[in-house]
Amino acid sequence: MIRNSRAKRFSVVSTAVIAAALTLSTLPAQAADPGVTASEIKLGYSGPLTGSAGLVYGKLPGGMKAYFDHINANGGVYGRKINLIIKDDKYLPTLAATQTTNLVLRDNVFALVGALGTPTHTKAYAAASLAKKNVPDLFVNTGFSGFANKSKYPTAFMVLPSYAMEAKIIAKFIKDTPALAPQASFLIAQDDEFGVDGINGFKLGGHTFTAAPTLYPQNGLSAALAEGALTKLSAVPGKPILILFGTTDTTATILKAAEKLDLVSKFTWLAGSVGGDANTLLALGVKPATINGALAASFFPDAKDSTDPYVSEFMKINAKYNTGVSFDNTVLQGMNSAMLTVQALRAAGKNLTRAGVMKAIESKGASFASAGLVPLNYSATSRVGYNGYWFGQLNEKGELKPYGGKLAVFTTDSSSTEAPTASTYVRKTVPKNGVPTNS
Amino acid sequence: MKNPIAKKSIVGVISAALIAAFTVVLPSTASAADGCTDQNVIVGTKLVGFEKCTGVDGIGSKYEIRMPEKFNGMLFLYSHGLRNEVTIPVLPVLNETGKPITANREPEVGPNETVNEALLSQGYAIAGVGGRINGWAVPEVVESNLYLILMARDMYPKINKVVSWGDSLGGHISQSLSEKYGVIDATANIHMAGSAPSQYAYGGDILWLLKTYFDPTIKGGNYTQPAYAGDTRGYFEFLGDVQKLLVLLNALSTSIAANPVTPAWPATATTAPAALQGIPVRSAILLIGLLAGIPTQSKTYDASSGPAGALETTFGVAISPAVATLENIGRAIEFIVAVYDTEMKCGGGIYDNTKTDYATRIGDNSDVFAAALSGKSAIAGMLAFLNPLNPAAPRFKSSDASLACLASQSAYSGKITIPTITLSQTADPITPPGYVQKLKNDYDDYVSQGKTKSGLLLNIWQKTPDQYTVFNGLAAVSVPSTKATAGTNHSPFNNDQLLMLAKMIASSAKSGKLPSMATAKKAINNDNSLFIDPDYTPTLLPQEAN
Repeated sequence: MIRNSRAKRFSVVSTAVIAAALTLSTLPAQAADPGVTASEIKLGYSGPLTGSAGLVYGKLPGGMKAYFDHINANGGVYGRKINLIIKDDKYLPTLAATQTTNLVLRDNVFALVGALGTPTHTKAYAAASLAKKNVPDLFVNTGFSGFANKSKYPTAFMVLPSYAMEAKIIAKFIKDTPALAPQASFLIAQDDEFGVDGINGFKLGGHTFTAAPTLYPQNGLSAALAEGALTKLSAVPGKPILILFGTTDTTATILKAAEKLDLVSKFTWLAGSVGGDANTLLALGVKPATINGALAASFFPDAKDSTDPYVSEFMKINAKYNTGVSFDNTVLQGMNSAMLTVQALRAAGKNLTRAGVMKAIESKGASFASAGLVPLNYSATSRVGYNGYWFGQLNEKGELKPYGGKLAVFTTDSSSTEAPTASTYVRKTVPKNGVPTNS
Repeated sequence: MKNPIAKKSIVGVISAALIAAFTVVLPSTASAADGCTDQNVIVGTKLVGFEKCTGVDGIGSKYEIRMPEKFNGMLFLYSHGLRNEVTIPVLPVLNETGKPITANREPEVGPNETVNEALLSQGYAIAGVGGRINGWAVPEVVESNLYLILMARDMYPKINKVVSWGDSLGGHISQSLSEKYGVIDATANIHMAGSAPSQYAYGGDILWLLKTYFDPTIKGGNYTQPAYAGDTRGYFEFLGDVQKLLVLLNALSTSIAANPVTPAWPATATTAPAALQGIPVRSAILLIGLLAGIPTQSKTYDASSGPAGALETTFGVAISPAVATLENIGRAIEFIVAVYDTEMKCGGGIYDNTKTDYATRIGDNSDVFAAALSGKSAIAGMLAFLNPLNPAAPRFKSSDASLACLASQSAYSGKITIPTITLSQTADPITPPGYVQKLKNDYDDYVSQGKTKSGLLLNIWQKTPDQYTVFNGLAAVSVPSTKATAGTNHSPFNNDQLLMLAKMIASSAKSGKLPSMATAKKAINNDNSLFIDPDYTPTLLPQEAN
């Protein structure tokens, strides 16, 4: 045995000796940003592909991928092919955090693109340490104005106009439309940041509802609750305006409740952009006659309008690279985000870095070609994407036609009481063959 | 076998400065030798001989040292987790052994025998103490650990490196020992506990919120101090609370099982008004978790899955985080034993929420979990009920003296001067990951102030599987208590993980520096549940952030 039973004394290692022995651990050398090689740019998407939200938004990443495939077939971005890795988060915040973290840590993506959903992306942004890792968070698909807060989300770039902007413009639309202005108005909204942002926008826009908004948690408006709410409102005289500020599945629930109660014609239906996609409403079983005449807001051309140059180009790409998937507003949105992404990557130059792509959007993003009928607002101080809307009326085919026969686009902000203004924005011509050549 | 040397606290005699400057003389080691026996163990195909020495140190703690015949010069000193001082009768959850659990004061020399034997076979000596008192006895155990090191070095002069490691409260003790005295070469803290005020505020918040929303007859602490020998009033108050909490958790669980979408509040919620009880009780459970800092993933529920069919999204969004919180509360509620023990030690209540602003704690969670919390209006209503002006939600007040006593039970500051590795879980309901983040923040502060060097802290995390809830129809299949889900439940790390950690920290002790990031990542490469990401920033516990 090695125990020393004779020892009467012992020495204790001094702190000084320990301290002297310490050296810094080896730090990794500065490496190139992840996700970029000479031949590839790896991008990541996390959003709902399945579950109830998947029914509504599931086609978005397919639209993006189809566009990237088209770009890859046309030489990629400075010779690099874009590889979009798609993850299903089912619109569950915790799963979104997991998937986004996996995209960043496991798949080593260069940037995220088109992430969808406020609760999901709020959690994912923090969990995946996107800010600390300086991961570009491109063209986030949510209208929550909070994502434009550069100090909190330093790598995020919004693309959708905010819910507050939309509400302000709805308020102006009602005020300026003689058939609507005198009517009672009511709001049925999601009781979260979506609805809160919207309610705030209505206040900023000076609109007063006839009664307090009917609020419900996401996924919390059952058919029975919808029927109850409509029954109550049906007692209001005239043709009240019912503004639906929720997701498309909830809009469908409310419209089907109206069908059941034979109250479709009782109200003027005004669906916010998030919940007003006609194709999805029809797919969810809403009758064509029900949506006929409903008002909806949009910042895009109608996806059914094949005379629009962007829609036409995207339709061709969809037919070739997204086989069997019908072209609609969701696919249009996906392809448009992908086109913005390609321009951002090009604008960053051949020596692609994460910092470079974000700087490029700040300096050049406002001039990117896009399908939007309203301007993009990127700058060194602004992470706001589109900032306006136009109003249209749906027909039985689900086509959105400009209200009153003439396209009228308005732009505004998310925080001031200044009234929305008529836009003079002239959209850039669609790039030839849909392939940007910017630098 | 009691050592006749130093009867009084050695902390007062041996300060870090003294250790650094002087050689300390022990009058005798005879009694230590009295408790030594030669033993053998077969590890794999190898016969490992070692000497096992046990005894009681000069301040009353039992110790054990195992010294292998083929000693490589390094001693692993292990600190075990929280143990009860109070006797726990047979109770569901808390004690299902079939007999009362009395205070265990036996030493532990490592996480488990398999790991212990593996370390011995590799030539490491192992040692540990059983505190002379149980409960949150950090100062006492740090003192005994120091004593043990001094004694071991006297007995075995070939000890040239000492690694300290510990689990849960033992992680806190290990960190404290490493900061306080210059006798440790590297430290590894597993499931590391936070500061005493923070941990007890975490437990206190859980108890107070359960009491306030669901059962005002729960005391939640401030148990009657004994006024005379054998005074058991406080003890029975504590046992009464345990019983009420178990009944409450069962009622909540039953309610959710019966109606997962709109579960009713328990009958004991006598002060919650009807409007509040119109909110599904699962939302109140989740809110309790978010306000206290309980993870929203548990052993069974991943907050990322739902049963196939119409409820899939609803379950994943709104139900799973709530039942995960409930399952975690069931785990964390064991902390009430520590509350009782520490109140008895400190002479009064050790939780005070008179100044807590719960409404500010919700933060981004009101967006992330808006649906699960039944919407912004419901959140506002539930928070309003906690307003300090609400007579139905009386705040908990403790004396300055007992709170000061509690504060004195913490012993680390984050001033790290030796290689330090933490191994923690991302959804640990006992020691949530925010505690390690706090250590990291504190260490970074010391570095930025130039008070210590950078590069001495490595955080290894165990995450949950991406999705793991198993459904049988609409019901989730509970994970058996014997089966761990990675990243959750404060469950023990497996032997491969522990030995990987031991290898890493031993190497650090030898070199005086942490492994490189590449080396560390390679070491965990075969374990998909582990990750190292210096950018990972778990949320601080709300009690720390406030």
